[in-house]
Amino acid sequence: MKIKNISKSFGGIKALDSCNIEIKKKKINAIIGPNGSGKTTLFNIISGLIKPDKGEIIFQGHDILKLEDFERAKLGISRTFQEVRLFKNLTAKDHIDISLSENYESVLKSVIKKKRSNRKKIKRILKTVDLDKKLGSYVSDLSYGQRKLLDLAIVMAKKHSILLLDEPVAGVNPKLREKIKEILRELREKGETIVLIEHDMNFVMEIAEFIYVLDYGKVIAAGRPKEIQKNKKVLEVYLGG
Amino acid sequence: MSLLLQVAINGLIAGSIYALVSSGFSLIYNTNKFMHFAHGASVAVSGYFLYGFFAIIKLNFFYSLSLTLIFSALLGLLIYRIIYLPLQNRKASNVILLIASISILILLQNLILLLFGANVKDIEFVEVKKGLEFFGAVITLTQIVILLTAVLFFIFLYFFMNKTILGKNMRAVSENKELASIVGINSRKISDFSFLIGSFLGGAAGILIAVEQNITPTMGTILMIKGFTGAVIGGISSVPAAVLGSYLLGLAENFGIVFLPSGYKDAISFVLLFLFLLFRPEGIIGGKRRTK
Amino acid sequence: MIFPYLIHILILIGIYLILAVSLNLSLGYAGLLSLGHVALFGIGAYTSALLNINGVPFVFSFLLAGLLAGFFGFLLAFATGKLKGDYYALASLGFAFVVYSLLLNLTEITRGPLGIPGISKPQIFGWAIKDNFSYLIFLALVCFVSIFLINKIVNSGFGKLLGAMRDDETGLRILGKDTKKLKYKTMFVSGFFAGISGSLFAHYIGFIDPNTFYISELVLILTIVILGGIASLKGSITATFVVIVLSELMRFLPLPSAIIGPGRQIVYAIVLIIILMFRPRGLLGRIDLE
Repeated sequence: MKIKNISKSFGGIKALDSCNIEIKKKKINAIIGPNGSGKTTLFNIISGLIKPDKGEIIFQGHDILKLEDFERAKLGISRTFQEVRLFKNLTAKDHIDISLSENYESVLKSVIKKKRSNRKKIKRILKTVDLDKKLGSYVSDLSYGQRKLLDLAIVMAKKHSILLLDEPVAGVNPKLREKIKEILRELREKGETIVLIEHDMNFVMEIAEFIYVLDYGKVIAAGRPKEIQKNKKVLEVYLGG
Repeated sequence: MSLLLQVAINGLIAGSIYALVSSGFSLIYNTNKFMHFAHGASVAVSGYFLYGFFAIIKLNFFYSLSLTLIFSALLGLLIYRIIYLPLQNRKASNVILLIASISILILLQNLILLLFGANVKDIEFVEVKKGLEFFGAVITLTQIVILLTAVLFFIFLYFFMNKTILGKNMRAVSENKELASIVGINSRKISDFSFLIGSFLGGAAGILIAVEQNITPTMGTILMIKGFTGAVIGGISSVPAAVLGSYLLGLAENFGIVFLPSGYKDAISFVLLFLFLLFRPEGIIGGKRRTK
Repeated sequence: MIFPYLIHILILIGIYLILAVSLNLSLGYAGLLSLGHVALFGIGAYTSALLNINGVPFVFSFLLAGLLAGFFGFLLAFATGKLKGDYYALASLGFAFVVYSLLLNLTEITRGPLGIPGISKPQIFGWAIKDNFSYLIFLALVCFVSIFLINKIVNSGFGKLLGAMRDDETGLRILGKDTKKLKYKTMFVSGFFAGISGSLFAHYIGFIDPNTFYISELVLILTIVILGGIASLKGSITATFVVIVLSELMRFLPLPSAIIGPGRQIVYAIVLIIILMFRPRGLLGRIDLE
């Protein structure tokens, strides 16, 4: 995925300013930066919730800015939200079920087709995030950490070729943090492309292979974790420049 | 020429009544941010208050007027306190408040039916005199009174909203409730007043209708749709815009039936309402779009 | 004496069952507060009655009633695509007003306020339904099939998507589902069943006029669906029985009919307000109306 010259301002304030990022395939990419540096805005633009003022995003040969949000998702962009976004009247199983499904949008197919075969697959996916005991639970019965995990399971279940994760370890306990790190590493082993936004710098340094640093909507540095750690500009931004 | 003038006069008279309905509705909407659809029924109820005081109890006309206005305002407050406020405290969405208000509309309408029967009531306060004629158009004395009363009410409303502390606070709550409460405005009290004043204006509309035309139990629904349409045409987020929109609606209806059969009068506003909601929900004047 | 009356009540229940269940599909399961449902009911009734009077066999007029109402349901969803919440509700109510005024004013087709009298009982190929008992059997069949199909839909994957859309539309789009199309399809199906229940209504009562498809009827079906509980078919079915039977029982109160008519409306409205205030999930629902 190539993000070219994306700019976006909200009422005169530039959230993104000619932002250029190239996501490395089959790697864990991270986008970091102080609060308000435009990270989530960038995710919202990629997933189609916000229209940029200018620029283009090339993904699998398409300029995806011309597509609607759900079309981009169909093309393979999967994302999570900082504030976990789940369907409160659906069970954990149903969440995975609709993410996996391809033909539920057709009334007829959906009504005629027997769909017991999915059950095993759903269970398997929930097992990877330790939620296989919570198949029938509604969102309100899940803890905060379990919701984070379910959210992750959903984007994994959905057909995708890139995962955009908005603060996957925000607010989780150390044990869960390790669990999520392990899950991401496994995904990486399988050859998935992952982009994450994260505040937890240690987490990023431990796991990311390539890092972009945003400040006031501009990319001020890009490189491997070690390079970033030594970069003066980055230090200035983070240490109160 | 005289036809056009006549149509314009009819349009302005209809518009005056719609505007009174819609100013109250819009005032309540802006302060409370939900649609008080039962407002139309409270307009109809005021017509019957007047009928009750004047034709049944046989009070003198000016006592009847004052009591009607007071009772209408209180009815509005009552509806707010008994139904809307508990719903709001329960964090009910606008959709629920809308369903509740439609239920109240039906409730009030049928209460009138129950108490007064289905037949049309006429308040014979002013004998129907021959209208005055100018430039070939006819206008009756009552109609002149309607035009002037409406304008007078709007001037008072304007001064109230812009020059009095209560009015200014009300506008502050309309613009930004959180900010208003930070500077110490009691928004609950402001809501009470919005219902009192909004329903008072509705009461005035009810009186004018009762005096000029006649009253029927189900007139509330159609009046509400007209007032609402006027508000949507002008822009629901401002009272003056709603008033302007209502006059435009009155004119559009009356000019419309020059070309269409007169039965289409109501259809014109239904269609305008639907089209505006679909294509320009913020109205002609309104800037901010609020679809959520 | 009691038996024919019982059949009459059961027929009314059957008609309102289809209507209520179809409204629950759009309002309850998909979360589309469609106040235009009465208009779809009316479109079905008028379509079927007019076609049938002009010589179209009942089977076709019945199906066309469903298809046309479904098509208008789709149109409504298409036109109001951008609107949300109370604006959507009001636009759909506006649609109901437009349809009402057309029924009232297109006098050459609909006879306006005079209504359409003399709508005959159905003749299905060779089977002429003459008495109410046969009508009840036919209706029970249609009713059963309708509820069976809608039940199938709401419990299918499609139904799950609807539930997800009701909870968080954007969230569902981010999962790659075209929520607009979901709405179109839902409104088509919901409209279809509203339309056939309109047809069944017209051919049973034998007379229709625009007032049957206006705001008081809307309050009745909203009361049924919300009383039963949104997204609960059992709820809608139970509530249809309760509401129709109770409102029929009111007939036996020693009161003149000029009081019973408005009295019923008052009861519906009060029940609806009380449910909204104290039990927004209705009698059998699991989900709060929001």
